[in-house]
Amino acid sequence: MMGRVAARLAWRQARGGGRHLAVVGACVALGVAALVAVGTLGAGLEATLAREAKSLLGGDVELRAARPLPAEAETALEHLDAGTRMVRVRELVAMVRGPARGDSLLVELKAVSEGYPLYGRLATLPATPLGSLLADDGAVVQRQVLDRLGLAVGDRLAIGAITLTVRGVVEAEPDRSAGLVSLGPRVFLSLPALERTGLVGFGSRVRHRVLLGLPAGSIAREVRAALAREIASPSVRVAAYDEAQPGLRRFFSQLTMYLGLVGLASLLVGGIGVAAAMAAFVTRQTPTLAVLKALGADTRTLVATYLLQTQVVALVGSLAGVALGLAVQPLLAAAIAGLVPFTLEPRPQVWTLVRAMAMGLGTTLLCTWAPLTAVRSVPPWLVLRQDVAPSGRGVSRALTLLPVAAGLSVLALWQAGSFKIGAIFVGASLAALLALWVLARVVIASARRFPRARGLAWRHGVAALARPGSHAPRVIVALGIAVMLLVTVALLQGVLGRQIDHERRQDTPSFFFLDIQPDQRESFTRIVEQAAGAPPALTPVVRARLAALDGERLTRAVVDRRRSRGDGEERRWYFTREYVLTWSDAPPERNVVTQGRWWIAGARGEAEASLEETAARHLGVGLGARLTFDIQGVDVAAVVTSIRRVDWQSLSTNFFVILSPGVLDGAPVTWVATARVPAAAESALQNTIVATFPNVTAIPLRDVLERVAGVLRDIAIAVRLVALFTLGAGLVVMTAALTATRSQRLYESVVLRTLGATRGVVARAFAVEYGVLGAVAGAGGGALALGLAWALVRWVLDAPWSFDVVPLALGLAATVALALAVGFLSTFRLLGHKPLPVLRRE
Amino acid sequence: MITVRDLVMRLPSGGRSLTILDGVSLEIAAGEVVAVTGPSGSGKSTLLGLLAGLDTPSAGSITVDGVEVTRLGEAELARFRRRTIGFVFQSYHLIPTLTAIENVAVPLELAGSAQPLPTARRLLDELGLAGRTGHYPAQLSGGEQQRVAIARAVALAPPVLLADEPTGNLDSSTGEQIIDVLLALNRQRGSTLVLVTHDLALAARAGRAIALRDGRLVNGHHPR
Repeated sequence: MMGRVAARLAWRQARGGGRHLAVVGACVALGVAALVAVGTLGAGLEATLAREAKSLLGGDVELRAARPLPAEAETALEHLDAGTRMVRVRELVAMVRGPARGDSLLVELKAVSEGYPLYGRLATLPATPLGSLLADDGAVVQRQVLDRLGLAVGDRLAIGAITLTVRGVVEAEPDRSAGLVSLGPRVFLSLPALERTGLVGFGSRVRHRVLLGLPAGSIAREVRAALAREIASPSVRVAAYDEAQPGLRRFFSQLTMYLGLVGLASLLVGGIGVAAAMAAFVTRQTPTLAVLKALGADTRTLVATYLLQTQVVALVGSLAGVALGLAVQPLLAAAIAGLVPFTLEPRPQVWTLVRAMAMGLGTTLLCTWAPLTAVRSVPPWLVLRQDVAPSGRGVSRALTLLPVAAGLSVLALWQAGSFKIGAIFVGASLAALLALWVLARVVIASARRFPRARGLAWRHGVAALARPGSHAPRVIVALGIAVMLLVTVALLQGVLGRQIDHERRQDTPSFFFLDIQPDQRESFTRIVEQAAGAPPALTPVVRARLAALDGERLTRAVVDRRRSRGDGEERRWYFTREYVLTWSDAPPERNVVTQGRWWIAGARGEAEASLEETAARHLGVGLGARLTFDIQGVDVAAVVTSIRRVDWQSLSTNFFVILSPGVLDGAPVTWVATARVPAAAESALQNTIVATFPNVTAIPLRDVLERVAGVLRDIAIAVRLVALFTLGAGLVVMTAALTATRSQRLYESVVLRTLGATRGVVARAFAVEYGVLGAVAGAGGGALALGLAWALVRWVLDAPWSFDVVPLALGLAATVALALAVGFLSTFRLLGHKPLPVLRRE
Repeated sequence: MITVRDLVMRLPSGGRSLTILDGVSLEIAAGEVVAVTGPSGSGKSTLLGLLAGLDTPSAGSITVDGVEVTRLGEAELARFRRRTIGFVFQSYHLIPTLTAIENVAVPLELAGSAQPLPTARRLLDELGLAGRTGHYPAQLSGGEQQRVAIARAVALAPPVLLADEPTGNLDSSTGEQIIDVLLALNRQRGSTLVLVTHDLALAARAGRAIALRDGRLVNGHHPR
């Protein structure tokens, strides 16, 4: 019964609240649009990852190891069903050279057997089967290889000890998704050719993969489990297609989660708009509410009326938001296209849309709640004594905000999908809202207190901010949040950009050189010294696998048991990875011993090891643990006597494990080197090194860092795009606040003009007001952005903090300009009114 | 029908308490027409508002139609106003965003009436506003607005009709017509009518006039 009455009243009462309800709808639409855009992107990524899973892995099941597969693995493979197709792949990073010009290039080599690829399509030009292109020392390369070396199809390409002929160009490769940043373009060759390059010697880092195509009826997970049981060595990773790519999956889910939080921020700012619009609406409706109460309407019916009204508007706004979000989503997908190793075809998912709409409706419900409690306090006797203002706010009003905050927190947790992240978001949001609100209050208080001199325009502009029931707090809060997000993105981009800006980092080497053989060491040093003017920093390394911990052999079962104490894949990696060992008399630069003590130089006692602290944590070992390494089949053991903290940001040669001198005597050693060379000399040095030592890999850091910068740029664009919705919501809040004070403004401006002020003076007074609003929001948002960016750099990105004033200044200037522009667009028509009719109406 | 006992109303005013009604007691029989007169500020409107349950007195009790109004809670008061009281205001208090017929329909809808709009149309018809049902208040003259307000007040046929200076904003001939309408309704429906006025000629048309001065009842005579 009450529902029907409320529905009728809601429908009719909506006529009086068009403007307020439009604000509600717009705010909800912007917030929902941001969530829909991000949600659809996330769902699309997940669906594509699932659909392309076989292509991305390269098979139904993959075996992967850093060394040739052990005999037990080969035996297990022989026992597979007869119908199983099998492809062998070896991948490594190496240098190629164009013999004609002598230019060299770091590439990712991939040698494949007949039958590759099992799933997905390898697109080559010409579109000839890969096997025939690679036969007779053929190579198929990505176009960048030709461009960088000035080659064409048909030209010769030197790799290690042999020379191949480029037979074609690869345009798409199904299973190339190793990481976000590749070290170089792809070069395909055949397995026998790879053998003859001489690059697959000891010490080189080769990824050995076996891809399996299972016959119909076989279940990938079962085959994987069977293989895992038979292959005890944990260094052979066995994966089924539907559980692969955890790194990629995690990256995307984190990206969409952070984007989702930025989207949620726009919904929160929209919520401020909803609350403000409803408060203004209820105030305006107070006489009507009193009449309705006098006619016998009870508070419940009236509250239900307004709730219904706003929910319907929120529903319409949500639908508009869905449409807007779906329209914007392709832009977002384009922004991150460079990070995605497959074609992204996001399709709107019902659940994503419903969820975003539920968030919109829920936020509206919560944000209308506090203003609607004012309905209760409208006394019916107002119909008799309108001159008496109803009282009773303060503490009780603050109390009504508690359930609202709680409800919004629940929504935030739902969006974040993680209690910890959601809680941090809620805490940070509350802190930011409170800080901006306090700032606004301080500005209002000082506007009231300080003497108003400085001419008419200034006096009136500042006075307008301080009027009773000032709109300044909500405008400053809403705009400030948007400024905070956008400036934070800019600050973070700056921090990370400087971090990877090669020019600025004088301590960063230009090259990492890998796989220098002992007999090449002397001439290598001489060549580099000539080019760089200083000798390279050489470090001896021995590649090894962790074979046992405290005497317990690491089998797959042992690793599974040990890693189950902690968190998943990353932890497993510390048990199964190839360790690069070195020895040293003293701790390397920027390494700090945090536990235990470093060995005494020159003392040849027990074999000692110094372990990096994250590795120690993930392996679950501490001082006194006994590490046994397998070096080419020979066990070498050492006791952990110190734990180190390593500055991984330093981009110099760093090690998880350093052994005391003597332990590695007799082990097969290669050398790695770093060198800083003037930018102009880089490519000449690289070409000389590669021509002289075909087996040595030169990783040009400048290139790699530029690629990392590209990834960061893409991410920043995506975040900005979502943050723009917050800015949009902030501007709606500002427009609404200015329109709500329209009649008051009109009256004041007319009175001023009656007293002889020109339109120019009135316009200047408006400008002062909007400019101050923008400046306070810009400064407050900028200050919060500094805090947020610092916290993110410190705790999430784990990078050194650096500060740039440009984003802050830009943020401030842009906010002032935007506030002025939007303010004038909302109010310039007031200046056109003739004074007399306005005064008569009053 | 209406029993008022020792009614006191104080309102805060500038930090002090202002006594509006100071011990008013009176009885009004069912079907009676009573005019409440007195100078402005004498407490007439406040008395009427308290009879309607629009506010709570500082002391004393009011019983209307057997219900002790002064003991009702907020939700019960809303129901009481809906069922028992029709109220006509000096400044009409129509809802500006609703048309005439929609304004009349509001109490019917609040009471859950099955056919609010036809009933509202019939009432407007009876009051001579058949051609004005779709107009908004701003499009109606003062007399028309007040007739809409009267239609709204009697829509649920309340046993008590309260009118606060119903002609105060109208010229004398229009005011005359409004009073005719109110008295006719009182005769037809047998409802009790209490009207506040400072127009003595109007008060003379009531069955009884009571005068208030400084919150106290001055007399309670029956002129007829």
